[in-house]
Amino acid sequence: MVERLYEIDKLKVLVKRESVFGALQCDETSPAYQEILEEYDAIIDEMMTLAQPVGILGIFSLSAETATDEFPEGTPVLYGVMSIGDGIRKCSTQAFQSGNYVRGMLCDAIADEALFSLEGRMVEKVREVCGKLGLGIRRRLEAPHDISMQVQYEAWQKLELEKRCHIHISEGFMYDPVKTFCQVFVVSENAEEFRAEHDCRKCKNTQCTRRNVPRSEIVVRRGTEERTIYAGEQESLLSVLIKEGYFIDPVCGGRGYCGKCGIQVVIGSAPVTAADEEKFLQDKLEAGWRLSCLLMPTEDMVIRIPEQEEEAFEVLSVHGSGGRQDNTDSIAGVKEIAIDLGTTTLVMELLDGVTGRIIDTAAAVNNQRRYGTDVISRIQASVDGKGQLLQETIRKDLIDGIETLLNRTGVSGEQVNRISIAGNTTMIHLLMGYDCSTLGVYPFTPVNIGLIRQTCSELLGDRAEGMEAEAWILPGISAYVGGDIAAGLLACDFDQSESICLMVDLGTNGEMALGNRERILVASTAAGPAFEGGNITCGMGSVAGAVCSVEIEGTDVKLGTIGDKPPTGICGTGVIETAAGLVRAGISDETGLFAEAYFDTGFPLGKNADGSLILFTQKDMREVQLAKAAVRAGIETLLLRYGIGKEQIDKIYLAGGFGYWLDCKKAVAIGMFPEELAGRIEAVGNSSLEGAVRMLREKDSIERLERILSVSEEISLAADQDFHAFYMDAMMFAVQDVT
Amino acid sequence: MDLAAAGTGWPDGQRILYKEETDMAAEIVVEISELLQKGRAKNVKNLVQEALDQGIDPKEILNDGLLAGMMVVGGKFKRNEVFVPEVLVAARAMNAGITLLEPKLVEVGNEPVGKAVVGTVKGDLHDIGKNLVVMMLKGAGFDVVDLGTDVEADVFIERAEEENADIICMSALLTTTMPYMQTVIDALQEKGLREKYIVMIGGAPVNDAFAKQIGADYYTPDAATAAETARRAVTDR
Repeated sequence: MVERLYEIDKLKVLVKRESVFGALQCDETSPAYQEILEEYDAIIDEMMTLAQPVGILGIFSLSAETATDEFPEGTPVLYGVMSIGDGIRKCSTQAFQSGNYVRGMLCDAIADEALFSLEGRMVEKVREVCGKLGLGIRRRLEAPHDISMQVQYEAWQKLELEKRCHIHISEGFMYDPVKTFCQVFVVSENAEEFRAEHDCRKCKNTQCTRRNVPRSEIVVRRGTEERTIYAGEQESLLSVLIKEGYFIDPVCGGRGYCGKCGIQVVIGSAPVTAADEEKFLQDKLEAGWRLSCLLMPTEDMVIRIPEQEEEAFEVLSVHGSGGRQDNTDSIAGVKEIAIDLGTTTLVMELLDGVTGRIIDTAAAVNNQRRYGTDVISRIQASVDGKGQLLQETIRKDLIDGIETLLNRTGVSGEQVNRISIAGNTTMIHLLMGYDCSTLGVYPFTPVNIGLIRQTCSELLGDRAEGMEAEAWILPGISAYVGGDIAAGLLACDFDQSESICLMVDLGTNGEMALGNRERILVASTAAGPAFEGGNITCGMGSVAGAVCSVEIEGTDVKLGTIGDKPPTGICGTGVIETAAGLVRAGISDETGLFAEAYFDTGFPLGKNADGSLILFTQKDMREVQLAKAAVRAGIETLLLRYGIGKEQIDKIYLAGGFGYWLDCKKAVAIGMFPEELAGRIEAVGNSSLEGAVRMLREKDSIERLERILSVSEEISLAADQDFHAFYMDAMMFAVQDVT
Repeated sequence: MDLAAAGTGWPDGQRILYKEETDMAAEIVVEISELLQKGRAKNVKNLVQEALDQGIDPKEILNDGLLAGMMVVGGKFKRNEVFVPEVLVAARAMNAGITLLEPKLVEVGNEPVGKAVVGTVKGDLHDIGKNLVVMMLKGAGFDVVDLGTDVEADVFIERAEEENADIICMSALLTTTMPYMQTVIDALQEKGLREKYIVMIGGAPVNDAFAKQIGADYYTPDAATAAETARRAVTDR
């Protein structure tokens, strides 16, 4: 084997606050949380500048000193060394010496996190080098457990660490800077084999705060496909399946209520839980059917999961000025396509290039969902090396959607000469294949949020070859207030309005904007998925059968569902209506606390077809409180920063499919919007799509968008003291009569 | 209703003892201890100043306020009732108080409970565990000399002699470096100084058996236990 060295380039240090806090065993419930958080915020920027990542990789062979029983002298190995330098460690030592123990410990945890964040890139580089040389990786050896510590010395010498990276070595074969790690990969002739990832099962460091022991090997069968995944200690099978990209959407959030996550255990033991007995008939139980959310694998097993079913989403494509047109336009001539690229769904409309009229509308699920339902988990997936998969997935979805539109209408691809796409910043990053690592961490810097103009073939890859239509991606305002919101502001004519208006998008990110043509303040409040039915015991998306209206009189409940189908769960509007109804009926007090009779069991709204109850629990109520308080506090903070009173808001535009169904009185009743403005709320539907349509239809739309961007200013709410004060206030319910 | 009282019954032995102490200690000193346990550095500092202004003995402020508070936190940490973050904020509050108190303690001639030299052994550059031991020893009223990392046997011994220390604490995080603890103890034997010092060791690969094997006096699994053991060891002497 020829000895070779490779510098590891494109190193990016990434520090996630949750991981640092996790390593310190510090969460929101810790009495020290606030102090630790303050210290963290005070130092993190400086620490990030102190991290000086270097990495080097080389292919060599084991010497007589480092050979093991399994791997004799001469075994070809790859040495990988990564370091973040000594800057952060020095700060830690200094802080300890001066008695600032909080800072000292935080620095150390940040340094560890920074160092570990380089591991992914190292494995990627190992893969790259192996690919070039036609080799594989048989095993990863960890010193001192699998191999002598002396290997660090050999790697130090061979990789010329002193000369190349100024890394010294101690008598105990320890590297200086301390925040440096060395990995040994046993090279295999079999290029198919690649076992370069750290395997916690084989790791002897049982005290490690990052320990994640994949206890059981799970062979997953679906249709004809078969794959092996690993379930860790105390990890439910469902959470592993979701993590591994098998998309099973648990309506109840994995609590054993909804019965949507059933799988069949083919080989292996899985005790029958009470919930299993309730959800499955005897013959199914005997055939091994279980709820995967309650199944904690403790041994290797083989399971079968049902084939994925397409979901029928009720997607709102009706907006202010459009609506489906009769096919009176000629199918000949120039056409255009406007696309709303959402986190959950894609909606696209085919427009006549001359008349600007809408010919047809198509909607589909964003299949990136299998990598996570919200933007944060998508960013995470991208950072974890799935960026290319995510890009391929969305490209495929877009092309499939475009083809559906074209096939249905008989329009050919060559006729399309322009496409406009509005999406949030993360969706656009994933589509463009940008590095998402800075989107998820402070200070949340996007790679590019400007207007992007490319041909479709450039944007969508090989399958769009020959499609020379120009694609315009609408510009955004920040990492969390993206092109979808800018499009919405355009659709609501913010750039022309003299009077001050408020736009609120009630999705997971809860973006909002307040202002007029002179000045617009934007913000995003992490409202969470409650308004989309997420994290709600019996929550579900806005699909047929979802409870969307609720009247509670005593214990008498009147339900309305989407499509008037039998109820199967509660969607976002239903969640708000239920909360409002429970407060009004006195079942919940003004703090959101349920009456004793319902505290443990939850409040039954109705029954599923199979007889199981549709419940709204105390926890669900808390979720609603958190979400609505975030929205209200966001509004109050924007008003404060804008320097105006509530009464000066002329109109509130509610954007998104959710807003369309909402009974505004109920939203006011739970305190999400100020009471004074009850009559000024207007649902505008999918304003992001409408903005994308305007972009195509109206020549001056680019200038108009630019004006919106130039007068927009983002307010960061996460660290805003006023926001937090408003947030606490807004948590309460006002006990009042909504009729 | 007080949930803590309802859930756990009457407080454990330590807290009953603590309650008796409150009758004797000045109210403000007790408050210092309580605020320290909550990690309120600023309040602790202000109250220490106020206590000094009231003419309370600095030793009382130190022992019944700052150190008593730290001891409660250390005990809770050992029993898994609180985690590292709570200990850190408490220790930071303690440090704020001690910094203010130190000149006064010198004036009244306060004697620390003991003196310790602490370091990570030669070849080993890990310092976080050692830093936490230094922190907890200070919290137990020790005068601590931090020798840093990669410390040679001669340095441990010379500094212990110079400082007239009671305890030598050694840390090692690697199997390749922990044998050096033996080297230090052998060097102490050779110089006829072994009996003069209490030798304590700690670190991930170290355990009780190893401590016995190399002739160390104590092995402790965490920083809070180290401080408690050190305190007991010097009082037993």
